Amino acid sequence: MKRDSNKWALLTVAILVFIALPVVTIGIELFSGPGETWGHIVDNLLPDYLWNSLFLILACGILVLLFGVSTAWLVARFEFPLRKQLEWLLILPLAIPGYIVAYAYAGIFDYGGSFQLLLEAAGLEFVRIDIMNKFGLAFVLGISLFPYVYVSSRAFFINQANSLLEASEMLGVGQFKTFFRLMLPMARPAIVAGLILVLMEVLNDYGAAKYYGVNTFTVGIFRSWFALEEPETAVYLSALLIVIVFTLILLEKFQRRKVQFNSNRSNNRSIDRKKPGRRQQVLIFIAVLIPVLLGFIFPLSQLIFWAVLTFDKVFDASFLALSLQSFWIACLTAFVTVVMAITLIYFSKWSRLGFIKNIAKLGVLGYAIPGAVIAIGIMIPMISIDKWLISFFDRFFNMDVGLLITGTVVALIYAYVVRFLAVAYNPIESTSLKVSNTIPDSSRILGVGNISTFFKIEFPLIRTGIASAFILVFIDALKELPLTLILKPFHVNTLAVKAYEYASDEMVMEAAIPSLFIIVTVMLPVIFLNRMLIK
Amino acid sequence: MLEIHSLSKSYDKGKSFALKNVSFNLNEGDVCALVGESGSGKTTLVRLIAGLETPDAGNIVLNGEMFSSLHNFVPPEKRKVGLVFQEYALFPHMTLFKNVLYGISRQKNKKIRAQEVLDLVGLGEMKERYPHQLSGGQQQRVALARALAPNPSLLILDEPFSNLDAMLRAQLRNEIFEIVKKTGVTAIFVTHDTQDALAVADEILILQKGELIQKDEAANLYIKPNSIYVASLFGNTIHLSQELQSAFKCPLNPKCSHAIRHENFAINEECEHVTHARVIKRTFLGNKTQLLLKLDSGQNLAVFTKDGNVADRIKIGFNSTDVLEFNN
Repeated sequence: MKRDSNKWALLTVAILVFIALPVVTIGIELFSGPGETWGHIVDNLLPDYLWNSLFLILACGILVLLFGVSTAWLVARFEFPLRKQLEWLLILPLAIPGYIVAYAYAGIFDYGGSFQLLLEAAGLEFVRIDIMNKFGLAFVLGISLFPYVYVSSRAFFINQANSLLEASEMLGVGQFKTFFRLMLPMARPAIVAGLILVLMEVLNDYGAAKYYGVNTFTVGIFRSWFALEEPETAVYLSALLIVIVFTLILLEKFQRRKVQFNSNRSNNRSIDRKKPGRRQQVLIFIAVLIPVLLGFIFPLSQLIFWAVLTFDKVFDASFLALSLQSFWIACLTAFVTVVMAITLIYFSKWSRLGFIKNIAKLGVLGYAIPGAVIAIGIMIPMISIDKWLISFFDRFFNMDVGLLITGTVVALIYAYVVRFLAVAYNPIESTSLKVSNTIPDSSRILGVGNISTFFKIEFPLIRTGIASAFILVFIDALKELPLTLILKPFHVNTLAVKAYEYASDEMVMEAAIPSLFIIVTVMLPVIFLNRMLIK
Repeated sequence: MLEIHSLSKSYDKGKSFALKNVSFNLNEGDVCALVGESGSGKTTLVRLIAGLETPDAGNIVLNGEMFSSLHNFVPPEKRKVGLVFQEYALFPHMTLFKNVLYGISRQKNKKIRAQEVLDLVGLGEMKERYPHQLSGGQQQRVALARALAPNPSLLILDEPFSNLDAMLRAQLRNEIFEIVKKTGVTAIFVTHDTQDALAVADEILILQKGELIQKDEAANLYIKPNSIYVASLFGNTIHLSQELQSAFKCPLNPKCSHAIRHENFAINEECEHVTHARVIKRTFLGNKTQLLLKLDSGQNLAVFTKDGNVADRIKIGFNSTDVLEFNN
């Protein structure tokens, strides 16, 4: 082997270029100038997009902190009836995509909806609550996304906090003061890490905002792309959104750089939960139950109710075919994404260059970029490539190949990979770090090359990480809406798009069955994953 | 058979060197020890020889084949070097037999060979077990068997005894030494422990801060260390300063520095250079006792002995043949 040729470093860079292409495209397209309506948008719509998006960031942020941190603290610190079940149920709102929660709540608060029936049954006068506005949207997104904060802060309260709590108790400090003066500041990095994920999702949302008629950035991008047919304007809005997202990321990095409490040492001692008095136990139980009801049970019940009503109309052979197509696309996405994550992790490792290993981590930033932005960043170059391919095949083979990339699922899966690479990268990387370097080194020395070593030694040792990665990407791909709407070819459909189409066509009840299909398919692997990881 | 020419490696682009200009040769069948404190560059040297790192300068030649130079780099899988890691690095998902089979899967009589090396290390009966079912010493022997199976031209053992307790250590040291000698393989033991090195090696290489400072036969190294550092690796030594030289009436070449080992001091015995002293402190250390002496000439001196009490007056001295001399 020539000493200077580091093919692994080159391959790592190639993968990163592939991942970065959508964002780079947006950057380059900025130079070709904005579209005709840009001036009009800046004057009339942009302030709206900006204020609505900022309002949602703020309102959802407060809501998820309220629900997420309080429930995490209560289940981590107190013993009360059904605690174990509730601890698990609190994660489940994540199983229902935000836009579906939005449809369900629109139904609950509609005239003749469950809320009205409930009030009338209780003999109360009906008060109409209009939820189809930005306040309603903030509530719906907050209640469906708070588990991100719940999960990250609960992990902190359980793993890191025990000895500190004991110290605080020994010093005679009460529960409330301990929480606000000690735990909250200590848990801040963990809480903010969860919060930032929520805000990314809020900026990514299209389905819920569109349905509630709130003009957010993402809604603006869609309007420029589809209604105004002005890619240039969509590009400009996308660039602004990227700036907002990266500002949030930098803020998160900044707050974490200043304080680093979160050590890796995990405290295996199980946490000793307080057992408060009867009345307090009931209060805690209710406090924890409310987010579960709001985020999971209420919307789910509404969907089940609608599904029963519309079952005969919606559930037929073509619906089954559509479900299969949706699963198939999600599986293919999960497979390609996992392969990409593995190659990125191992190629950069085999390059043995610290610099390459560091930049490989940039590949995960796609998760922060809203789906609509990725979709536009991919659509623009892919259309050009398709045009080139058509003329190429026409000239040299006299063949009409049609749209090879944008007309098939290739562009769609490419975009999924960019967006979900982090979802696969993190679990695979963390399990691969548990395998000591001397193990693959031993294999190399015994005469086995890099790639064979991976399949014979590393793959069997990290397969739980790979399985988790596969399942997580599968779930995300199945739920995904905005990116799919832009990139899916005409003849292809997914459950998420079907639910969206029903809802946009004033048939929100019919959206229940595809929605429930998504929820069930998301929940099954989560249960399986939980089992596997516990084992 | 192994030739190392001015090998250098830096992990921070030349600001500091993990290994600096190291050269040495080994002959077929040599068993040598590579000794140094942690951070001395032992592991770097081993990883360079095995091909797990690329050198910044210098080259490595094994059996006439150029392994590493500025223009050529043979990857580890093509080198036929056997390496036993400190933490054994057995493949946890494979039985012992499969672990040993791993490196010889393309050979003809692979199963016979695998059984042979497992028998050699005394674990032939346990071949269907998994690594986690073995003790540390047993895992160490499996790692050795796995490294020996492909008949490597060179076997390197990186800190092979450091994870074991003292009793097991001495026993395993002898066992592994016997096995290595029986196979006749050229071997490098990497260790920070000079006792281990003296016990197993014909020849010892001393690394300090990335530089090879002495290479010699084990006995020579003890008798003729070329620096105080090397001397102190093999036991406590005392620097014979000008003051001490005059206290003992033993003028030495002023162009050189001198030292003497603790064990070469004679107490209340006749020898060439003597002086008197008073015991000012006594520390009991189990198998020996440390005495802090105040020499009549005023200096303090700590020596090890078996008896002596505080306030005793004693005679202390040494013979000039025991004085170690180093060029500055």
